[in-house]
Amino acid sequence: MTYKTWKVTLFLSAFLFSCSQDHEIVRDAVVFKAPESFPEPVYTSEKFPFSKECVELGKKLFYDPILSIDNTISCGNCHAQSHAFSDHNTALSTGVNDLVGTRNSPALINLAWQPYFMHDGGVNHIEVFPIAPITNPVEMSLSIAEMIDKLSSNSAYRSDFQNAFETDSISSDLVFVAIAQFQSTLISANSKYDKYVHGEVSFSSEEKSGLDLFESNCASCHKPPLFTDYSFVNNGLDYTFNDAGRALVSQKSADSGKFKVPTLRNIALTNPYMHNGRFMSLDEVINHYSEGVKENGYLGPRLNRNLNLSDQEKADLITFLQTLTDYEFISNPDFSE
Amino acid sequence: MKNILKPIIAAALMFGLSSCEKDVDTPIETTETYGDVNIDFNYVWGMGMEDFSLNDTLIHPMNGDTLVFSTFKHYISNIKLTKDDGTIWTQSESYHFLNVSDPNSLSINISDVPTGNYTGMEVTFGVDSTRNVSGAQSGALDVINGMFWNWNSGYIMLKAEGGSPQSTDGSFAYHIGGFSGENNVVSAKDFTFSSDLVISETEIHTINFRANPAKLFHTYGSVENGSFHMPGANAKMMADDFNGWTNISSIE
Repeated sequence: MTYKTWKVTLFLSAFLFSCSQDHEIVRDAVVFKAPESFPEPVYTSEKFPFSKECVELGKKLFYDPILSIDNTISCGNCHAQSHAFSDHNTALSTGVNDLVGTRNSPALINLAWQPYFMHDGGVNHIEVFPIAPITNPVEMSLSIAEMIDKLSSNSAYRSDFQNAFETDSISSDLVFVAIAQFQSTLISANSKYDKYVHGEVSFSSEEKSGLDLFESNCASCHKPPLFTDYSFVNNGLDYTFNDAGRALVSQKSADSGKFKVPTLRNIALTNPYMHNGRFMSLDEVINHYSEGVKENGYLGPRLNRNLNLSDQEKADLITFLQTLTDYEFISNPDFSE
Repeated sequence: MKNILKPIIAAALMFGLSSCEKDVDTPIETTETYGDVNIDFNYVWGMGMEDFSLNDTLIHPMNGDTLVFSTFKHYISNIKLTKDDGTIWTQSESYHFLNVSDPNSLSINISDVPTGNYTGMEVTFGVDSTRNVSGAQSGALDVINGMFWNWNSGYIMLKAEGGSPQSTDGSFAYHIGGFSGENNVVSAKDFTFSSDLVISETEIHTINFRANPAKLFHTYGSVENGSFHMPGANAKMMADDFNGWTNISSIE
């Protein structure tokens, strides 16, 4: 696969490198490369250019239960690489003290292109994204002050921050930048679908039929190449809403039951589905859109009818969705614990 | 495209080269002189302007509520000073976290202000919208200060908490924020000095601000009406009443 190197960073990194006699950090733009087929990323880590040291620190933090109050839960617990960084076929994840949340752990894929985070889009920047799970009493339940205390009293971490940021005085913004840089590297763009688009492999007739169905019925919300348009949609799961979704953030009743359109990349690996993990399989999801959409007064114009697919069409659509699985993504040692 | 890129690359090259010359000590040629000014925040209670302190029992003069504050903290940002010739000096990285339980935080030293006669200033209550959408921040804006909403990203402009027998659960908590739309609480306010503030190299003056936490309840009414922790019309109402009263009591 050919990548265009993220030019601006490379350019800047060349100059930093040229001054590097008094810099210990080797800025390495190659740690974050945008796939050629993708648009410009939303996140570019302007304050601290991408570096190998920073990404590695972010990965260490991501997999370290030190970020939970009782050292039992890491980010990786509920965002497992084998499941495209979603939880292990779990509808609602379990945090510290066996407490259970209310929404499905989202897959972490191509986050540098994501304009807002959480199912309701309430978090507006990748760097402030970890604050909610770290401090939430039913997830990791660690206050930011306690997090800084724990990391600052750990000499290995002080040395890691020194390597990444040229300071061993650990502050929350540096923790969040490191995690954001690691999470930005979780790029998935090498599925069978991508290889098909690049002319490297061919599709079976079922896959081709599924792609056609997808393009005419699903792609306006799940827009390639990121397979989402990041809009908020009420997809007719319910008549009344236990979870108001986007309306909790916008405080507009018109947004009731709306949730962010998720990417479909690696969708075969991230079951169960929907904001609360109510559907265990892709069959159930397709059946919902085929004949189960509930007319609740909040459906958008793109979802105001059932698709009424035949059994063969449903099977073809699922066969196509399976081509979005990126085996390189789930086995890349750069992302592994 | 190449023609557009050339000057950009040339500029970047020059920038890159000059950034390597930081060891060369080039004196800045200027005749400008600089001084300091302090900004002190003081808190009073109600129309009688009694002393406001945490953990004191206070009676609200309008609604009669008995209130004991345990927390009172807020942000100001983007301090600008206006000279008598009309020029405006803007403090860089101007973010200040005022926490009544930490007296040191209530006295802000502003340094490197060009000397001269100043006629007024502008203060923004809360944190400007840009910093609400720009990711992790440091210093006064570090989320360790507990002034950031993690479920609906944004800085809390003002946090007031405490106890009251008039509240149904015995406590009150007002987390006031919101940086966009009709309920944006972040607002800049101009203050005109009663006489010119002279900033010199030798003498440091203090601008005394006066804020009145009782004003939070001026329109909102009693703590019986409940607490809130989100942007909205109530937050806007409290912010407008509080910011509207805040004034400069004296310049020493």
